Amino acid sequence: MLTGERPAAVEPGTRQPLPGLPVAAPGGAGRSPLRAPYWLMAPSVALLAVVVFLPMAVAFLISFSGLNQNTIGDWTRAPWVGLKHYVDTLSPGGAFSSSLVESVRASLAFSLLTTIAITPIGVGAALLLNGPIRGRAIFRGLMLLPYVIPTFVNAVLWRLIFMNGTGVADQLLAALHLGSRDTFWLIGPRALWALVIADVWAAWPFIYLMTLAALQTIPAELYDAAAIDGARGLRVFWHVTLPLIRGTLGLALVLSTINHFNNFTLPFVMFGSTPPEQVDVLPLNIYVNSFITFNFGLGAAMSVVALFIMLTPAVLYLRAARVGESD
Amino acid sequence: MSANVRLTRRRFLEVAGAGTLAAGFPAILTACGNSSSPQPSSGGQAKAQPGTLSIFISKDTAHPQQQQQLMDLIKQRFEQANPGSTFTWDTYASAAEEQTKLETSAAAGEGPDIFEFGSTVVPTAYASGSFERITDSMWSQLGGKSAFFQPQLTMSGPSPDKLIGVPWSGNPFAFVYNKELFAAAGIKEPPKTWDDFIAAGREITNGRDVWGTAMAPADGFDPWHKIWLFVTQMGGKLMDDSGKKGLLDSDMSVEASAFWLDWMAKYKIASTQNATFTGANEQKAMAGGKVGMQVMTGPGGIPTYDQGAIAGKYAFAIGPTVPPGMKAIPKGGKAAQGFVSGQYLTIFKYSKNPDLALQLIKVMTSPDIQFQLFKLRAQQPVVLETFTKYPEAKAAPWDALYDAELKSYPTPFFGSWLQLEVVLGKAINKMAQQIGVTGSYSKDELKAALTQANQQLQASI
Repeated sequence: MLTGERPAAVEPGTRQPLPGLPVAAPGGAGRSPLRAPYWLMAPSVALLAVVVFLPMAVAFLISFSGLNQNTIGDWTRAPWVGLKHYVDTLSPGGAFSSSLVESVRASLAFSLLTTIAITPIGVGAALLLNGPIRGRAIFRGLMLLPYVIPTFVNAVLWRLIFMNGTGVADQLLAALHLGSRDTFWLIGPRALWALVIADVWAAWPFIYLMTLAALQTIPAELYDAAAIDGARGLRVFWHVTLPLIRGTLGLALVLSTINHFNNFTLPFVMFGSTPPEQVDVLPLNIYVNSFITFNFGLGAAMSVVALFIMLTPAVLYLRAARVGESD
Repeated sequence: MSANVRLTRRRFLEVAGAGTLAAGFPAILTACGNSSSPQPSSGGQAKAQPGTLSIFISKDTAHPQQQQQLMDLIKQRFEQANPGSTFTWDTYASAAEEQTKLETSAAAGEGPDIFEFGSTVVPTAYASGSFERITDSMWSQLGGKSAFFQPQLTMSGPSPDKLIGVPWSGNPFAFVYNKELFAAAGIKEPPKTWDDFIAAGREITNGRDVWGTAMAPADGFDPWHKIWLFVTQMGGKLMDDSGKKGLLDSDMSVEASAFWLDWMAKYKIASTQNATFTGANEQKAMAGGKVGMQVMTGPGGIPTYDQGAIAGKYAFAIGPTVPPGMKAIPKGGKAAQGFVSGQYLTIFKYSKNPDLALQLIKVMTSPDIQFQLFKLRAQQPVVLETFTKYPEAKAAPWDALYDAELKSYPTPFFGSWLQLEVVLGKAINKMAQQIGVTGSYSKDELKAALTQANQQLQASI
């Protein structure tokens, strides 16, 4: 301060006006320029309303209706069936309860295993390419290749790799004497691993990108200080790097889990509309019920259940992202 | 800072909620109202207004260039007969795409003027109430119902006075066998009973790379095709006549399903690798010359066979009709070769020019175009005059397919049939996968899977 005076104490929760800006009159919020954020947000809120909230509300309504092939021509007059679809999917012994349980299990296993697998790969690659190595820019570009390949192309490639008898996976395992040439990857218990491997290959660059971005915000002085204190290698990672990237990495893991849970294209292209139960993930199950058998009411009810399941990591995500401020 | 101007999460949600209502409700109200559209002329020869139609048809992946040729020819004929009019066409490559287009068009009241549907989708299209009923006067413009292959009309609508689909091509199912493998195994003629079929399969199978037959349990259609065939021959049904009760868990359904799965598990006349097969894989295996017999296959396989190792070495025939363990078809059983299958043309209820759409269908079902459909795309014609005018449409191997078509029976005309296909397919697929991985399955597990499938079907009806 040029005057040498200490600034007046600011009460927590209040904001000092910027020099030159009028002070908002108490109670006169209607004319305040601070209202501007609401209007600036209006286009995005309207867009969100149309593409997110409205379909969500319609799906919620449809979940209480018997919308099917008989009423699709005039869907607003589909009969009201109350909680029937929820009873069918959630009550023990309900016609679709075991199907739902299998799908939830498959989705959780798929999303968690994939996230667990891609974390060390992504973090490792980011640490490697954060340092000064020759050809760093080229390597950084190459790392993104799996991420930019369209999901359906990735799915077709891995389907071919895992084809029974003729696929590269079976050929390779047989050549290395690690397995039979007649190993099934696209059916049975190995189907889940096939799906996880295909998704790991495509998804690890996301963790790499997020981690790399976080690493670049860490001041070099901290590493210098750690070096002066005698810290090396893993010790620096655990005590300097990890605490400083923890927030971003946590967010990346939550987002990654949600993305994998909602992945439809990969399992659909790899396994079709009658997948093995191990990979009959929730989005696929909902798709088949809605669009193959025309049972839109049931599909919508399953979607609502999926929404509530996904709220758990979504809440974690919101907390991690600290969207807005507490009231 | 005062609380009323601070952008809190609660405030954000209030604003967002109001935005949703403001933006959403007009959209809902707009979507709820379907615009009215002209009805087709009900009497006599209609004078269609010139215009441009759109037609949505299945993609012929085996003959893409020939399909283009055929559509060009149809367009030429249509434009000649209807000066000032033309049409555009678009294709779907899968059943999922076909159904999605039906759903979105029916819900929105907007879509192509003419849809081509497979026979098992016609009941769903009918249930949606989004397609024009073909009246007697409309049929007379097309040459009358009697001009068409009669079995095909059984899937045009639920009853003769409620038809929505005009037959466009046939897909009869028959039995195909490798003559060379039959001769090598000393088998003189195609089997008449399923016991003979198993015996022939065992003779042909060499335990290494040659198999008696092939199957496609991972296919979206093959499981229900085969189970329907066996149950129909046994005298049973997969769904009762009212369409309100599924019979997937009946003893007959379990027996029929077990018989098919046993080709891999018990009789070992099909490779366990078939557990991952789709219809295309099955056809390819047959064309490769390593499979002796293929059951319930249609003319769609002919191009593949003719380009494969069995070119000139295969024949179509009437397949087995006597159920396993029996000497004759039981009471109530049918000597079915397949169900009535083929493609149908329907006029969308919201078409702006249904009279012109009928004129396009008239061109597409003329004997000349039907023959070109046969010649260019290897599809079976459905207009009877085509066979008299062009006898080669009934020459070998098509003669057996023609005969097989006469032994086809319609599937129940209920919209819920699609649900049956899916739940039955999933149950059978599950068992087939188990056989693929472990080599066996138990009948109790099969019964449980079919019971669960039936519950799901019942909950959906």
